[in-house]
Amino acid sequence: MSVFIKYSKPGSLGAVFNVQVLWRFNSTTAESIRKEEDEEFRVLDILKKKDRQQKKQIRRADIQPDRADRMATDQNWGNVWPGPKTFHPSSVPLPIRQGYVPKGQAPPGKKANAELMKIPNFLHLTPPVIKTQCEAIKKYCTEWPKLLNSEETIEKHYPLEIISSDYCHASPTIRNPLARVVNLRIKLSSLNLDKRARDKFLRLIGDRYDEKTDLVTFIADRCPMRKQNLDYVNYLLTACYHESWSVEDWESEKTEEDMEYYDWNNNASKRSLVNWFLKCNNEEKELTDEEYKNFDISKIPNAEGYKNAVNSLMNDGECDATLKTYGSSVRKLLGLPEKKVT
Amino acid sequence: MYSNIFLPRQWSRIACLCRTVSTVEAQKLPQNSNSSDGISPPPRIPRGPTDILQALAATVGPDPTAAHYKYHDDPYLIPLSNFRKRSYALSAEAGRKAAAWIRDEHADLFTTREWDPPGKKKTPYLNADPYIEAFAPRPIYNDESKVTEEDFNYTIQNALLEDAIKVYELLGGAQVISDELKIKFLQLLCFYNEKEPISMDWVEERWFAANTRERQAATWRLGGLADSIFTSMEPKTPEAYCAVIQGMAKYYQAERAHALAQEAIEQGIPLSTSVFNSLLSCIGFLKEGTTLRIEALKTLLSQMNEQGLTPNHETLTACLRSVSAWGGGKILQQIALQVIAEFRQIGIQPGLSAYYYLLCLFCKERGAQIDILTSILNDLEKREKLVPQEATDTNFFITAMGVCSDHLQNIDLAERLHKLLMKDDNYKLVGDAYKESIYYRHYITVTCRHAPFEKTLQLLDTLVPNVYVPEPSVMEEIIRTLEVGGAGDRLAQAWSQLVIFGHANRTRLVERLLDAFCNCYQYQDDEVKAKIRSAAADILKFGQMAEEKEESGDRRSPVQKLSATAISNIIELCSDVQDKADPGWDIVGEALNKLRAEQAMGVPARPEILIEVAKKAATVGKPGIAATAVTYLADCGFEEALTASVQTLSLMLNRTEEEVQALLQEDRTKLTSALHPSALVVAEAYHAMKTGTTLHSDSSTSSESDSDSSSDNE
Repeated sequence: MSVFIKYSKPGSLGAVFNVQVLWRFNSTTAESIRKEEDEEFRVLDILKKKDRQQKKQIRRADIQPDRADRMATDQNWGNVWPGPKTFHPSSVPLPIRQGYVPKGQAPPGKKANAELMKIPNFLHLTPPVIKTQCEAIKKYCTEWPKLLNSEETIEKHYPLEIISSDYCHASPTIRNPLARVVNLRIKLSSLNLDKRARDKFLRLIGDRYDEKTDLVTFIADRCPMRKQNLDYVNYLLTACYHESWSVEDWESEKTEEDMEYYDWNNNASKRSLVNWFLKCNNEEKELTDEEYKNFDISKIPNAEGYKNAVNSLMNDGECDATLKTYGSSVRKLLGLPEKKVT
Repeated sequence: MYSNIFLPRQWSRIACLCRTVSTVEAQKLPQNSNSSDGISPPPRIPRGPTDILQALAATVGPDPTAAHYKYHDDPYLIPLSNFRKRSYALSAEAGRKAAAWIRDEHADLFTTREWDPPGKKKTPYLNADPYIEAFAPRPIYNDESKVTEEDFNYTIQNALLEDAIKVYELLGGAQVISDELKIKFLQLLCFYNEKEPISMDWVEERWFAANTRERQAATWRLGGLADSIFTSMEPKTPEAYCAVIQGMAKYYQAERAHALAQEAIEQGIPLSTSVFNSLLSCIGFLKEGTTLRIEALKTLLSQMNEQGLTPNHETLTACLRSVSAWGGGKILQQIALQVIAEFRQIGIQPGLSAYYYLLCLFCKERGAQIDILTSILNDLEKREKLVPQEATDTNFFITAMGVCSDHLQNIDLAERLHKLLMKDDNYKLVGDAYKESIYYRHYITVTCRHAPFEKTLQLLDTLVPNVYVPEPSVMEEIIRTLEVGGAGDRLAQAWSQLVIFGHANRTRLVERLLDAFCNCYQYQDDEVKAKIRSAAADILKFGQMAEEKEESGDRRSPVQKLSATAISNIIELCSDVQDKADPGWDIVGEALNKLRAEQAMGVPARPEILIEVAKKAATVGKPGIAATAVTYLADCGFEEALTASVQTLSLMLNRTEEEVQALLQEDRTKLTSALHPSALVVAEAYHAMKTGTTLHSDSSTSSESDSDSSSDNE
């Protein structure tokens, strides 16, 4: 192209020689173009007009109208859509619309609407269908036991819960390793344990106990099969239970540091209170540990409140409420006036 | 093993596809059958693994608007003709076959363990979990395969007949194989007569196989592998005898079968009941003449008795099969009834096959009308369930419907029979595609002929086209019914049905339809009339399209042309418009051109139609069409052409007929200058008719002048 432009403006004189050269050059290019034309001159078709014209498809004449048009108004929808499948506009006799559009426009209709095909539909689970299906499988169901009529009775008679998961997915295998996990739950209160055994049980299971819900949870996933894991959690529960009932020799060596809770009777607080009380009454005596422990504090006025306050302070932890009750109980004990509300 | 498997990310993603189903199970249930304490659960109701699925499936009824579930539910993919139904289903199956081929041929592609840690990826075996026998790759046996008796056993167990023969040869023949396997192999060969059966996997292929007309000839392979194995066996066991005799009897090698049976009996070898059953069913090939045959039947039965064998239901069927194959007549019918009565005494009820043979025996095409179907139906309806017992059971419904339609012509019985077929899952007794379509052919025919019109329409709506596509003969029957019922709307629809079903090229049907159009056109609503007109116009267009296709070489078989009567029917229908601008006139013009170009068979049966059209066209202002019609009449040599031309001319020129007559007597040259071209053509036709000469030079131009003249006149 640039060659041609130069040729068209020979302009200044003395360029005759040049022009001739250019002319020859130009002519050869023209020839070569013609040669190409003979084969096929390719035209840059940006708008693809040619292709678009060619793509005009011949519509098949023998296409029947949508079967939704022929459906009777009193048909049984369950027969038309018996199972889960992707939405198809020709089989659903509903004027459904779906899709995002600018405000004020109607969403696109059901035909050629990919939005409707993307979302899962529940056209196969209409209420009448669910009803008939329930009726159909009712003959395989047994009656619910009559006395198990509330959550409490169920909990009472069936305290043990086993939770496991089944997975269903599209892949070359139907197995899922997660299906092997077995969860066992039981309320601690439903186990037959005394105070000592309960303490031991809790120590054995560690953090598997949830105080808020009172639930003990065992999770097993170490065996490859669910059955094995199920056996294993059952074994764990049984073993822990029986172990907590057996008393070992060394259990008598339990010291104050090993206590799971604060017992006021065993602690220095009581000793000081008793000593203080005795001093006040001028009965100074040397008491043994045992005597301290069994000292009847009902003789001391307001001692009961003090005891409770110290217990809750030590067991429940320091907070405004416990500190406040502690303060007021100490005031009462020592006969001091109530704290003035400032 | 799984304890320290890390879960790759895609795993959890796959798992997310489906929501986890958490099950909360109670602890081990107390094994107390007594649930009356109100706390322990009652004992479990026993059920099979698929019982719940079947119960759920039973809640789904038929949907008349939908195609069979094997086809895609999409208007573009729902097959509407028998040809399409067949090809779509078989195409899908071809895909399955290709997949199976890849599975067998490239079994090594399926050995990856996707869920294992890397390093253990490939295994030497198919990796499916759970392992399902039916989906596992089939071993391929060729000349290089190293085979063992285990392979041989596998091929026999799975009825892979050709593979079994191959393995048998590779193993080294009869000497090497153990006796037990040899017997099994012999049984396999005898059962299939050394022909590879269609595998059970190919449901569609079996459905469309249409092997209903099995040859009743001695097809047993004489001197084949089965024979040679049998002769090589020494000593011959009772099983071997039983297998060979049954095979021969099954494939109609009756004489040898009976000879072998005699041999076995003489040698004191016990034979089984089924051997006698098969012998009973091929007596007809052994003896000639009814009396001899009956005698042979009785001898065989008494021989059975001597052997101490009790007959079963197959014995009954075999007897009836033989009896029904010997022709008709009172004696045989008597014998059949006696046999049934005797078997009833020993507690054997006739099955569907037995009834099928009874129907064959009693309801002959030319015989007297005998209604045994009523009592058969009474019996079958009383039964709780129809259990398929033999392969011939599938013949019952089609034959019974045939009897309802042709022999008894009883619509009530047909409906009862159809109801029985639709009960529970009896529909599987319909057989295959071929039998199903014959069944419905009979059913629709009898309904069209004898049922009330409303009921027929209802039936057609439910069956056509998703369950059954009518064949041309049935379509004709339907058109006749619609014509008699005067359902013009439906008749107009029938044309589009013809196109969809692929019958639109059948000239006879289309002509019949056009006749029906004309016959009930008069008393239709205007709306329906318009529909009929457009259908008629479409018929003409369809014919032209087919011809174009033929010219361009797309079609192999030549297109049959509509008869002149049919085209004149189209003309009559399409000319029933008052408006000049109506497209109906274009169709009339095209049809007339077609007639004139002699593209139609014969001459119109009712020329008065064309006269009417000519007059009408002249009044409306389409002189071209009027001229063509009259010229065509003259060309065909109808005498009516004379009066017609005069009448048409009088209408065209708006003069009385006498004036026209006078005008026509004038000199021709004078007319040429005075008259309008189309009027001139009519005049030419008149003269041609009168003198008996045809003026072809003018007639050829007349059609071309049509468009000009009509536009001039406006």
